[in-house]
Amino acid sequence: MIKRLIIATALTGTFASAAAAEELRFTVWTGSEAHLAMLNGIAESFAETHPDVTVKFDTIPFGDYVQKLTLQLAGGNPPDLGWLLESSAPAFVNAGVLEDVSGVLEATEGYDYADFSEPAMGLWTKGDAVYGIPFSTSPFLIYFNASLYDAAGLETPAERAADGTWTWEQLKSDAAALRDADAGVWGYETVDGQGYDARVMHNLMPIVRSYGGDAWTDGICTLDSKESAAAVQLFHDMVYADKSTVPPGEQGDFFSGNAALTMTQISRVSKLADAGFDWGIAPLPSGPAGVASTVGQAAVVAFAQGKNKEIAAEFLAHMTSEENVAGMAEFFPPARKSVLESDAFLSSNPAVQPEQMEIVAAGIEGGSVLPSHERYPQIEAAARPDFDALWAADADVPAVLARLCDDIDPLLK
Amino acid sequence: MMSALRSGLTLKTREAIAGWLFVSPILTGFLIFFVGPLIAVFYYSTTEWNLLSQQSRFVGMENYVDALTRNDTFWHVLGNSLVFAAGLVPLNMALALGLAIALSRPFRGVVVFRTLFFAPVITSAVAWAIIWTFLLQHESGAVNRALSLVGIDGPNWLHEPRWAMAAVIVTRVLKTVGLNMILYIAALQSIPRDYEEAARLEGANGWDIFRRITWPLLAPTTLVIMVITVVGSLKVFDHIYLMTGGGPQNATLVLAFYIYEQGFKFFNTGYASALAVVLFVLILALTVLQMLLKTVRK
Repeated sequence: MIKRLIIATALTGTFASAAAAEELRFTVWTGSEAHLAMLNGIAESFAETHPDVTVKFDTIPFGDYVQKLTLQLAGGNPPDLGWLLESSAPAFVNAGVLEDVSGVLEATEGYDYADFSEPAMGLWTKGDAVYGIPFSTSPFLIYFNASLYDAAGLETPAERAADGTWTWEQLKSDAAALRDADAGVWGYETVDGQGYDARVMHNLMPIVRSYGGDAWTDGICTLDSKESAAAVQLFHDMVYADKSTVPPGEQGDFFSGNAALTMTQISRVSKLADAGFDWGIAPLPSGPAGVASTVGQAAVVAFAQGKNKEIAAEFLAHMTSEENVAGMAEFFPPARKSVLESDAFLSSNPAVQPEQMEIVAAGIEGGSVLPSHERYPQIEAAARPDFDALWAADADVPAVLARLCDDIDPLLK
Repeated sequence: MMSALRSGLTLKTREAIAGWLFVSPILTGFLIFFVGPLIAVFYYSTTEWNLLSQQSRFVGMENYVDALTRNDTFWHVLGNSLVFAAGLVPLNMALALGLAIALSRPFRGVVVFRTLFFAPVITSAVAWAIIWTFLLQHESGAVNRALSLVGIDGPNWLHEPRWAMAAVIVTRVLKTVGLNMILYIAALQSIPRDYEEAARLEGANGWDIFRRITWPLLAPTTLVIMVITVVGSLKVFDHIYLMTGGGPQNATLVLAFYIYEQGFKFFNTGYASALAVVLFVLILALTVLQMLLKTVRK
């Protein structure tokens, strides 16, 4: 009898302890060991104040992320926390699947919410409600192969940026000069080589905005404006008239040394660790309307259907505290002004010089986020055939853009 | 207890119970994982259901009416699916039959050839699509480089609307033809050699033998192959997803891919379910039609 009581007591204790312990499931799209080690470090520091809480980071491949996340939500198996891109923000916020964490942020001691600027929070707030905190606000930059520039005797983009002559026309001219078909070297490669498909907006927006255009404004497509068309024409000429830019249906890779220039974000620096050439970073070129820094944004969110909403919101606050945002800055440019302006940020990435990180900081401060919309996937699908039509040597750029706007305007309302 | 039960049941009943017990695991799985979802899809197709927000309302046949009468893209997509099937099925079957005839007789290295042609069937669809995407690159792809050796300037296969569908069909045929080839080889080897020998004694040549003996005896296998190839071609998804994403200019946007987009990208689950039902009915109708044609010929 006594033996039974001892066992029962022990079991009760075990179950009681298990019931008190909580495991937060956090979906991310990174599989990088360095990123996950950093995230696990943040989770361990959370355990100092929440000893019964563990955080499990669940990697979903980037290409499937939104679909798999949606299925988990629809299937009644929601994660507690997750990452979301700017393009998904309006749909998720309006669908009511994100938890309003404003109350927890306010109640968290030392959490300086005002440190996030209004533009940085634009996509993640609705009235007083806060549905996400950006953990990565990453501007597009120009990476250049300094060895190729040196061999060609050209002034580098960094030098031109310093003397104020770094323009899209100059980039076009450099790309044409550096293209070496015999050596298999392209002049310019689009964002991760995906600038004609999934990342066409990433590719075109920096050029279009620097020419004074945009994708859409106040529910009306503006890609058919004179300014937008001039910008797209410039890129089109790079591909088909100059033949300096990797066209659709071809492969180029700046990071392997077979493209002289590319446009991408600071996180791609890790791909240059073993580069067999000298490289440099420059800001985006300017156009007739100046420099239009364009920023890709991702936020950490808590899900309204999550089982541990309160603790999830507390972890969100912990992860986006000033200290942890500073820690993440090596990989994910911060939206916190205090971190952005700190000396620590400028030296946060050992592979990047402080003066190069200043370009990142400037890009964030003056940048505007990529286009987003509640019906972004539908807009993307409706625009796809028109963008496809654009990628032909004989395409009438203004006419194609006019048709594109006709196709997406009904969806923008 | 058991003996009492046994004594109260006839042999036929006991055999029936045993039979049902044996099939019950697979039957249970069939009901849960096939019939259940099928009924659910029919139900969801009558709703307007947003997968993300989980808001749903009954709309009756509205999704079907919308797809069939108001959505031009649907008809374009359906046309693409039929073009894909019409291109793939004859090409696949003709190639499979030709390979089977060539490889059904024993000769030195026949096993190697059979393995080579069957290997793509078990190759990962992702790897196959990625490799062919590289091979079909405009200037640096191996296909156009080979064509340039004979003075042909190859097109940008996957990025020109008039070539993309053809490129996808051919690469799909090369991926799947091995399975049909094996089925045809099995059927060819089951035809008694006596028939051929007797025909040759009567003076028949190779073409006569094929036309009057081999082909008619292959008819049941041909029907099976045709049905599974038609069904497979109408359901094609992975190949399109990986090689063209439905482009360029929606030239390869087929029904299965469109259903995926509606359901999992646009979150229009009810509408996607209606399209899935349309695809189901289309496949069912074509299968029944093929069966009927076979019956009529008999």
